[in-house]
Amino acid sequence: MMHKLTLNNVSKAFNGVPALNDVSITLLSGRTHALMGENGAGKSTLIKLLAGVINADSMSIFRDKEPVRITNTIDATSAGFRFIHQELNLVPEISIAENILLSKHLPTLFGIKIDWATVYRRAELALEFLGVTHINVKSQAGVLTSGDKMLVMIASAFVAEQEASPYLYVFDEPTAALTDQESAMLFSAMTKLKEKGAALLYVSHRIDEIMKFCDDISILRDGVLVKSTEIKNLKKAEIIKFMTGRELKDSYPPRTASMSSKNTVSLRNIETDYLTGINFDLKAGEILGVAGLAGSGQSSLLKLLVGVGKALSGDATVLENSLAKSPHEAWSKGIAFIPRERRSEGLCLEMNVRENVVLSHLKSYGFHAKPKLERSDVEMLARQVKVKYNGSQQPVFELSGGNQQKVLFARALKGAPELLLLDQPTRGVDIGAKYEIYTLVRELSDNGCSIIISSSDLPEILGMCDRILILSDGRQTGLLEKCSLTSGDLLTNIYSSDLR
Amino acid sequence: MQKLRQSGTLIGFVLIIAFFSFQLPDTFLTARNLLNISQQLSMLAVVAATMTIVMVMNDFDLSVGSMASLSGIVAASLFVNEYSIWAGIGAALLVGLVGGLFNGILVSVIGILPFVATLGTLTVFSGAAFLLSDGKTIFGRDIPKSFSDFSRGGIEVGSINIPMLTITAGFVIFICWYILEQTNFGRRLYAIGGNREASYLAGIKVVKLRMFAFALTGLGAAIAGLMYASRVASANPTQGAGLMLDAIAAVFLGMTMSKQSEPRVIFTLIGVLVLGVLDNGMTQMRVDSYVREILVGLIVIAAVAVSSISKANR
Repeated sequence: MMHKLTLNNVSKAFNGVPALNDVSITLLSGRTHALMGENGAGKSTLIKLLAGVINADSMSIFRDKEPVRITNTIDATSAGFRFIHQELNLVPEISIAENILLSKHLPTLFGIKIDWATVYRRAELALEFLGVTHINVKSQAGVLTSGDKMLVMIASAFVAEQEASPYLYVFDEPTAALTDQESAMLFSAMTKLKEKGAALLYVSHRIDEIMKFCDDISILRDGVLVKSTEIKNLKKAEIIKFMTGRELKDSYPPRTASMSSKNTVSLRNIETDYLTGINFDLKAGEILGVAGLAGSGQSSLLKLLVGVGKALSGDATVLENSLAKSPHEAWSKGIAFIPRERRSEGLCLEMNVRENVVLSHLKSYGFHAKPKLERSDVEMLARQVKVKYNGSQQPVFELSGGNQQKVLFARALKGAPELLLLDQPTRGVDIGAKYEIYTLVRELSDNGCSIIISSSDLPEILGMCDRILILSDGRQTGLLEKCSLTSGDLLTNIYSSDLR
Repeated sequence: MQKLRQSGTLIGFVLIIAFFSFQLPDTFLTARNLLNISQQLSMLAVVAATMTIVMVMNDFDLSVGSMASLSGIVAASLFVNEYSIWAGIGAALLVGLVGGLFNGILVSVIGILPFVATLGTLTVFSGAAFLLSDGKTIFGRDIPKSFSDFSRGGIEVGSINIPMLTITAGFVIFICWYILEQTNFGRRLYAIGGNREASYLAGIKVVKLRMFAFALTGLGAAIAGLMYASRVASANPTQGAGLMLDAIAAVFLGMTMSKQSEPRVIFTLIGVLVLGVLDNGMTQMRVDSYVREILVGLIVIAAVAVSSISKANR
């Protein structure tokens, strides 16, 4: 029998600014419902309301005809809602099994001693449900690669329940950190949940994925529901149009200037604690992509160039110098870096936009602080990177993910870098902001800046980069000219190198 | 809610003043008593202002009290051996700077938690003070008159005489305010407090700056120790002991008044004033000093609770 979960008249405003305005959505059991919208459209707010993390100004929920009241997270759990968040919130010091069962009471013997055998068994079952067999639930969660961490997080929502089984699963960008293979495992697990009669609410920026796996779709724009229908009624271009309110043609801006022949980076047989056999040259104006399975050393490679960690052997020339010994040295030599985790590695969240942008460039303002000069500098940069904000004095935690990323771009652009290192630059960024970021990157490259992009988004790598370096387990296994490469070729390279 | 948190401490301060003015109409709100309060507070103000420098980075320094004692003992011991006043003062300040730098190295280079590292040096500095002084108070003829005269002096402004200790504290507070609010050095410290990893990756020299900030806090403690020694014309290996808790309390009180609950020197000063006014008023009303301790403890807990609640509400 089909169940119906109805959300009616959901509204929520923050400090008088509406984040959601009278949104009503119906979710059906046994179906996957996609929730789409640009960053700041209100998706996260809706999910937080369902999870009871924040309280709505108005909201009524009905399961079939029965009202469901959610005022806190416990309500949400007992109502049968489960959430898979995009952030990796594992406790690294305890075992994977304990992490998977973190929100449950651990089973005990005689009510005292923890029944470890059952703990491990239940954790293994949850992982098996997801199709994961290569993870040892007894080891510490800290050792996992970031893709595996995500799988563990997801598995924790699949722990078998003694009571009535959950009937709504909310997935908040679960595939952002997953490879295609891992995503496929997730989708087959989602299919099983559907067959069990659960309703699935699925948030992602990957339109292709959504068109393939979802049944229904609701699109939010600026806090308002602009479309809710079966997915087969919409074409990709229409979805984009509903999300952005405008038409997007070519998603990757083409190269307009030719590369110079001057090498800016030249690495020979570089070996570090995490990397081996790294060999490549990078020309001024060239864009190099770094691809590989999650945890193959992409971040280590970029961090090495920005002065974190050191080479044990090999030769390196970076902007006519040796490798930077610290991020301080790297920035002062014209290397800019946008880290993978913008919240934990990139931004001081409680500080304002201006302070975050100038953070790497305080030296250029001398000893005495010059807020007025900074403000005019930052406002100019913010216009250039198209940050949507209420002025440079706004704290960055109030901005959406895409705008936070643009603040980091403004910081990187500030010093007119010669080498720009981008680690997953569009992760969790909506499609409109993505295109703006691609345009920026292209402009920089046309002006002669060398750029290295590490990304798990293969179309992005293929669309933007001139050459692609493949990493597998820290080893460089390929350096491909893009020319006529397809996503399939690239995948074959990534996976075959893994088998070697 | 945030407005209430931000103005709560100030409202409390005004209420405290109103209460004491009502209870002690003849003695409390007089120029003489206010100047007296400012002098009593001056040591605490110096330690709290320099403590703010490390607390901006989410660090703190438990060793300031014993450093203040040590600095007084170092100066006094040199006086006993007939060194000049400036030699004594210079040596005490140097000990403060080096001790603070040592804290900085433990915390920043070696990576020990500030709580553990400065708890260790608290004991080390205190032990050193006892060792140097043989556990006795150095006083009387051993302390040069011009050294103790400093704290009795003042500058005449119109009809009032502003004590030198108050002026010294004002000067230190101004320097701390200037460093933290008006220089890019201070901005970097706030960034480190905001997100240490991000600051490091953005090219801030985190290790060096943390070390330097601890050195400044040590120097502040040494200055306070000298002020104390001058005021009581003696040096005792435990005389700075009460400063640490009060200084941290003052910074926490001040943190309730800022937008994102970050420490600010000006707000720290208000925290110091709250504690000082309470102390003065209650002494005049002959309230047991133990009661005062209970009250200060409760105020700190309330201040931290208010900041925590408003953070959790986000």
